[in-house]
Amino acid sequence: MASEVKLPRLGQGMESGTVTKWLKSEGDAVAKGEPLYEIDTDKVTQEVESDFAGVLLKIALREGEAPVGQTIAYIGEAGEEVAAPEPEAAPQPEKVSDTKVSDTPAAAPPAPVTSNGRIKASPLARRLARERGIDIASLQGTGPDGRIVARDVEAGLAQPEAPAAAPSADIESIPLTNIRKTIARRLTAAWQAPVFQLTVTADMARANELVARARELNPDVRITVTDLLAKLCAQALMRHRDVNVQYSEDALLRFPTANVGIAVAAPQGLIVPVMRSVERLSLAEVAGVRGDIVSRARDNKLTTQDLEDGTFTISNLGMFGIEQFVAVLNPPQAAILAVGATVDTPVARNGAVEIRPVMSMTLTVDHRAVDGAEGADFLRTVKTFVEDPALAL
Amino acid sequence: MPELTYREAVRDGIAQAMRADDSVFIMGEDIAEMGGSMGVTQGLLDEFGPDRVRNTPISEMAIVGAGIGAAMAGMRPIVEIMYEDFLTLSLEQIVNQAAKHRYMSGGQVTVPLTIRTQGGAGWSPGAQHAQQLEAWLVHIPGLKVAYPSTPEDVRGLLWTSIQDDNPVVFFEHRLLYPVKGEVPETLEPIPFGKARVVREGTDVTVIAIGPLVHRALEAAKQAEEDGISVEIVDPRTLQPLDEETLVASVKKTNRAVVAHEAVTRMGFGAEVTAVLQHQAFDYLDAPIERVGAKFTPLAFAPVMEQFVVPNAGDVLDAIKRTVGK
Amino acid sequence: MAKVERETVVGEGTLREFLHDMLLIRRFEERVEERFRAGELPGFLHVAIGQEAVAVGVCRAMEDDDIFASTHRAHGHTLARGSNPRRVMAELYGKVEGVSHGYGGSMHLYDLEHGNYGANAVIGGGLPAVTGAGLAFKMRNEPRVAVAFFGDGATNIGTFHESLNLAQLWRTKTVFVCENNHWAESTPGWQHSPVWDDMSKRALAFNMRSIKVDGQDVEAVYAAAREALEYARSGEGPVFLDIPTYRMHGHYIGDPQVYRSKEDREAAAYHDPIPRLRERLGLSEEEFDAFDEEAHRVVEDALEFAKNGTDPQPEDALKNVYA
Repeated sequence: MASEVKLPRLGQGMESGTVTKWLKSEGDAVAKGEPLYEIDTDKVTQEVESDFAGVLLKIALREGEAPVGQTIAYIGEAGEEVAAPEPEAAPQPEKVSDTKVSDTPAAAPPAPVTSNGRIKASPLARRLARERGIDIASLQGTGPDGRIVARDVEAGLAQPEAPAAAPSADIESIPLTNIRKTIARRLTAAWQAPVFQLTVTADMARANELVARARELNPDVRITVTDLLAKLCAQALMRHRDVNVQYSEDALLRFPTANVGIAVAAPQGLIVPVMRSVERLSLAEVAGVRGDIVSRARDNKLTTQDLEDGTFTISNLGMFGIEQFVAVLNPPQAAILAVGATVDTPVARNGAVEIRPVMSMTLTVDHRAVDGAEGADFLRTVKTFVEDPALAL
Repeated sequence: MPELTYREAVRDGIAQAMRADDSVFIMGEDIAEMGGSMGVTQGLLDEFGPDRVRNTPISEMAIVGAGIGAAMAGMRPIVEIMYEDFLTLSLEQIVNQAAKHRYMSGGQVTVPLTIRTQGGAGWSPGAQHAQQLEAWLVHIPGLKVAYPSTPEDVRGLLWTSIQDDNPVVFFEHRLLYPVKGEVPETLEPIPFGKARVVREGTDVTVIAIGPLVHRALEAAKQAEEDGISVEIVDPRTLQPLDEETLVASVKKTNRAVVAHEAVTRMGFGAEVTAVLQHQAFDYLDAPIERVGAKFTPLAFAPVMEQFVVPNAGDVLDAIKRTVGK
Repeated sequence: MAKVERETVVGEGTLREFLHDMLLIRRFEERVEERFRAGELPGFLHVAIGQEAVAVGVCRAMEDDDIFASTHRAHGHTLARGSNPRRVMAELYGKVEGVSHGYGGSMHLYDLEHGNYGANAVIGGGLPAVTGAGLAFKMRNEPRVAVAFFGDGATNIGTFHESLNLAQLWRTKTVFVCENNHWAESTPGWQHSPVWDDMSKRALAFNMRSIKVDGQDVEAVYAAAREALEYARSGEGPVFLDIPTYRMHGHYIGDPQVYRSKEDREAAAYHDPIPRLRERLGLSEEEFDAFDEEAHRVVEDALEFAKNGTDPQPEDALKNVYA
């Protein structure tokens, strides 16, 4: 059988070579080691010696480039038939595809990103603003070269209202403060969440007794019904972890601890400082933390940490005499509890009408994250705990 | 706890390792009778004799290369390159040989070699006796690189280097040799890849190596008067690098300064800066500042040398830039 | 310089073993050349065809505990020292079964089990380490010797001079084997060294003992190497073996050798050590063919083994960086 003369590799990195000249013709006798053809590599032109002895039966590549290993000739015995000859020129797939690429119209470049309106802000400031839903463009930078830094975001949250405009017969135009803008944006966002509301009433007799007793035992702090509610809600959340959640684009986030926010009407606007891991705090500790953050909220001294990581919110308008109301969700949290005033109410009890202290609670729930039955079950637990706080232990 | 100078701590580390293990020996130029050009090896010849404390010819390639071969043959040599500027002469041996034998052999070979060297500016030796070249070495896979800043660290890390089965380039700084510090009664090995928080603070983290740790401490004291709380972290080993500790500190303070005596451009600090921006990007409240030598060789005239090399004031300026003061 | 008495050297049985080894190396390298040209082997390869008597003479003279370091032209030394041809070939194919597990390749053959401390692709790069290993043997008072192979080209690099100086100064247990094939890549000896035709003058400068021996006479090489090794082993000091030899092929596989005359190539072929040994043994054609067939058989078996070897996982590249 005829031997195939293959294009040799003649040096490191050589992938192809160009046959420039045959030193033998088809039909010539060839000795092993005799110069057979000339080849051009990227380095040098050289003669290549035959690896075989016999007759040069067929030159498959007379001239031109071929990859290493391609058969370029056949050597065998005189008169021997050779296999179907290879195409004269080596296929050059790379070049073909090159052409294809250049024939294809170039893909349109992405739309240029305009540098106009680029705002100088630190990565930390951008992250905080993103988390708080603050428009970074609304902030004034005080960092080096006017860069918006973390403290500017914090100041933006707690910025006092602009001085009142002079009295005028016309409609007053009060410039929006940053916090007002934030409130507007976040509550508008909240409105896009599909929510449902659930309402219960609870007998507050035992809760009131407990608060009174706790005040006696802890004269240093002022314990309120809100503190008790925060503590009881935290306990209930630990039993109903499916409510202690947040809906996000790709996952439902379930939190291991109950960080309870308290809606505070601060002079500059509504603000919701957060008490962390309330399930681990005693009632007096809750009162201490709550007292601290509420007073700092009113003094405009909250830090960004005070506003982060809430998992549930309580909004209590009882002190305004509101008996029942519906709170707007505080995204990204999945639930907010609206608490009304405790009102002496005639209640049918054991077959008789009694006057009992009754408080209403309305839970607003993000339906994307929590179903109706889960929400109802949670609220029933809250009601049970409020009516008999010992059960929360 | 006893107090040692940095120089005594190095010497004590070498002596303890040699007492503990016969396969440990030291060779280098002028290390025997003279006790080394920095006096570090004084007394070792008397204790261990000329077979284990070897004066070599001025042959940096052969010093490092013979160390490599002895290490491959089961010894734990310590070789001294008198000035790190002269590391350049042995770089082929360090980079192509020491760092790669294990790899090229597919894991058959170990090279437990410690290459001690020293350098640094501040005494006007000119351009060939004061460079800081650690960045060249941390770029080479297969090498470990240590650069301790205190007597305690230098002794503990030197011990670990000698026990390590990999080639270690061990940088000392000339101006640190007389610095005193407390060391544990008995030598405590310090693991590689563990940074040390030198000073805690809340406003800005200074990541410093070698003499810049001390200059950063001075700067931190002055910053405190301006109400800036500075944390200082010394990585101690540059390879492996304790990224976790550096990143955690910067996440806490939200600002970072990286400081070394070597030329700033393409320096070790550039790598640290890249690590921080990548792993702590969303925590940064200011661009990361770098402090290092200006991009020039070291001049002889003291005023020029002092201008080029970073001092505590340069660190303080960088700290202030990060907090916008 | 010592003269070697050739009558008293080795018996015929040993010489036959030398022929076996030399033929194995020759056929191995020829096959490697052929497979490289076929495009099957990656990388940068160098053969030592014509220099087999040096590899076999020196490596056969070493004791089991002796170690050596080689150069980019290392197939011969490695095989002569007893590494498994299958594993050497597998290394050239970049396989896990290779002597360096695919991390080294032709220029970085290591085999610690057979005393191979590594082939080095930086000219003169291994000389300081061999000096250091010889120092370790001396310090521990072990009857072992470290051997460095290098070419005439390496005698011009700093590591050579620093290593010979240090070795002689400290009397390390080292033998320096200069394979003087008179070519530093494409540069002939007379263009690169003032003492190109007598490299032992290099040793003179360091007051080092040297032995000159004909590198095409395996018996003489063996005798000289024994003498050098025993001298070094005794702790007297290192020895420089000056071994003129011939590189019959190019610097690397595929080297067109445009720099080299036909006459020079023919002269090299004339000095082929294999026919010379065959003549010395007085082998008939049949007897010689039997040796040759055995060599071919071992090489084909090695090739088959290597081709069927295991490819490393790409991420294995991240291993073995640190101990």
